Amino acid sequence: MKRAQKIFELGDRRWYAIARDPDKPDYVIDTNEYLVVDGSDALLCDPGGMEIFPAVFSAISAEYDPAKIAGIFASHQDPDIISSLSLWLEFNPALKCYCSWLWTGFIPHFGGNAETFVAIPDEGMDIVQGRLNLRAVPAHYLHSSGNFHLYDPVAKLLFSGDVGAALLPPGDGGLFVENFDAHIRHAEGFHRRWMGSDAAKLDWCERVSRMELDLLCPQHGAIYRGADIQRFINWFAELKVGVLSR
Amino acid sequence: MIAPVPRSPQESRVDIDVGEPVLKVPEGLNGRSGSALELHRIVRVNEQIKDVVRPAFRISIMALNAILLARRAGDAARGFGVLSGELRRFAGELSQNMEALRQLTSTSVVAVTALVKDGRYLAIIDRVVRPDGAVGMQLEQVRQRQQHANERRLAELKQMRTALAQLVGDLRPLVQLGIVLARLARVEAAYGGAFAQSLTQVSADFSRTIEQIEAALGGLTKATERRR
Repeated sequence: MKRAQKIFELGDRRWYAIARDPDKPDYVIDTNEYLVVDGSDALLCDPGGMEIFPAVFSAISAEYDPAKIAGIFASHQDPDIISSLSLWLEFNPALKCYCSWLWTGFIPHFGGNAETFVAIPDEGMDIVQGRLNLRAVPAHYLHSSGNFHLYDPVAKLLFSGDVGAALLPPGDGGLFVENFDAHIRHAEGFHRRWMGSDAAKLDWCERVSRMELDLLCPQHGAIYRGADIQRFINWFAELKVGVLSR
Repeated sequence: MIAPVPRSPQESRVDIDVGEPVLKVPEGLNGRSGSALELHRIVRVNEQIKDVVRPAFRISIMALNAILLARRAGDAARGFGVLSGELRRFAGELSQNMEALRQLTSTSVVAVTALVKDGRYLAIIDRVVRPDGAVGMQLEQVRQRQQHANERRLAELKQMRTALAQLVGDLRPLVQLGIVLARLARVEAAYGGAFAQSLTQVSADFSRTIEQIEAALGGLTKATERRR
């Protein structure tokens, strides 16, 4: 069963990573979900696929009242990101789902109606929900053509969707990157194949290297902390990605 | 062609009739589907579990300190030491039961999720225009299979609710034992000689904390019992 692990706390602001599900079937890719909380305001980032809804819901319930979650942030439109939307809406039909304007006509195939979606323009936007004030940061073509990351200036945390993701071998269950060189080998193939644009990648690296960051939290694999964040940005900037790159 | 029965989105929702919870339907949830109410009920149970786990943890720590204090007090507090040890065991047992409850609520979430999914599939199949002949019959078979799966899951969920209520009901004697132990500790504290005042203070803390557990158990009972 997944567990919600606190990865940041300052006053009432908390971030939880819901990660590592030993009971998940092998044919389903492992995902990290993140919950950001400030007192009674909460937003769930990339709630995951329909198959893992029970594990995510139960893990959150053990730490926080899911009835207080008023918003969902979807970095992009993939099924492992947001296909559980209809189940979350079953629980709370008033939920708002923040996603790229590009996908507001596509994601409703998973669930929701016209009132559910808040379209994020290409340049990004502030997502304000009670005491939470977060920033949707553009990451288009990394990998989706309408893609956003989520920045929390209080936690100095960037939820980076598929950027930074690693497909870790069984048994490599650490929540944080402990040995960058060993870890990054599991990220290389994923980034080469999934990241479609070298120009988009360099633009992202340039923007993110100017941000104040303590945590870089991808949707798959382990979380980067401290100096490993800049190491990752440098590595990513150098990596050859893009259409048909070999 | 067999025309589909028109359904509104509201009608497509899954209704889970596993007995009305005694708890008042929270504001804003009126008119919500049975599955949504069931999930909210599970969340309430989880919140009540947290309200038991926190004081149980405090009892465990307090009891450890009390055992050390009783050792320092010597022979006069031997009985108090024994009772503190029992209270520590009580807290451990309570925490184990809470973990079992939590696992049962997690299993219930799995069952509700499956029901919601099945209900959605069923609603979608119902909207398909069924052609005459073999394909129409095949679709009807799919619909019936889904319907049976739905009924089976509903029965499973009912069983889980019964098990949950039973587990919570079984906790009552355990909490009563805790209350009695705290009372006895208060009596023993009076014989604590030079340490009597400190021991009385500790036993009063025990009583207060167990009262919190008793209140939380009351909430848990309400959240899990069903209207007869």
